[in-house]
Amino acid sequence: MRITVDGTPHELDIEADMPLLWLLRDELGIHGPKYGCGIAQCGACTVHLDGLAVRSCQITAGEADGAEITTIEGLGTPEALHPVQQAWIEEQVAQCGYCQSGQIMQAASLLVLNPNPTDDEIDAAMSGNLCRCASYPRIRAAIRRAIQAEGA
Amino acid sequence: MIRAAALLLALAGPAAAQDFAPVYDVLSHPRCANCHVDEAGIPLWSNDDGTTRPHGMNVQAGESRMGIETLPCATCHGTQNNPLPGGAPGAPDWALPPAEMVWAARSAREICEQLKDPERNGGRTLEEVADHVVHDPLVLWGWTPGPGRDPAPGTPEETAAAILAWAEAGSTCP
Repeated sequence: MRITVDGTPHELDIEADMPLLWLLRDELGIHGPKYGCGIAQCGACTVHLDGLAVRSCQITAGEADGAEITTIEGLGTPEALHPVQQAWIEEQVAQCGYCQSGQIMQAASLLVLNPNPTDDEIDAAMSGNLCRCASYPRIRAAIRRAIQAEGA
Repeated sequence: MIRAAALLLALAGPAAAQDFAPVYDVLSHPRCANCHVDEAGIPLWSNDDGTTRPHGMNVQAGESRMGIETLPCATCHGTQNNPLPGGAPGAPDWALPPAEMVWAARSAREICEQLKDPERNGGRTLEEVADHVVHDPLVLWGWTPGPGRDPAPGTPEETAAAILAWAEAGSTCP
């Protein structure tokens, strides 16, 4: 199969039913996306598939054949952070940090589809991404900050 | 003896097939009705006791009926069922049907009247409704819903045949 991850094309000989998350972590050594539940209940594994946030534990390698994947490791660069990453730092959102790559990827996807969401829309969009440290108020604040930065 | 004969007549194939009941059994099944919800766009999950509850994760499909405004259906629902117990089901173009096609918690008569109304059935004739049942990938998913979920009764072909027989007999509603 062929897949492009964070701008780098790969050709892999793997089983078609391997979850995308396994492909990323075990085959390519990209450990930013995290394993949480394995059944689309937590959002820790969220990446972008052709620009849309998906739970990489649910997508098979076969479904991702030919796709462009973006992980937290390719969303921005240290020199040019994605506005959501920058806002995350400024709001000091993370506590333990385990869920945060999924949170950031979900938020970045939301702002592509809905550039100026209401607080209710932010809450609805982020409700599939769980945080056991309960960083939810800071997540919402960071998304609002990213919206302002984008609009500036 | 007369009553037994009448019962036999009532259960005879052609007469039974003209009834809306076999169609209602499918359309009201959770695999269909859990997504045929109202304009609030909140799909349902089934409980083990046969009742339902709102879909988790505060899911709201919105006007797009695909969650584009908030959390897109496609974020969790891929093009095929996830094989793990509790994993997300999937089919091509996963989405809620239009709000005017709401069936959840509606009576057989209400659903029957809706199914005949092009304003509330996607602009279809009943023949086209039957064709839709055997060709739309997301409708067909109702009979192959993945592990841990009861499929809709019968088969797509039997359901289409029941719709056509009911239409042929005058499409009367209960």
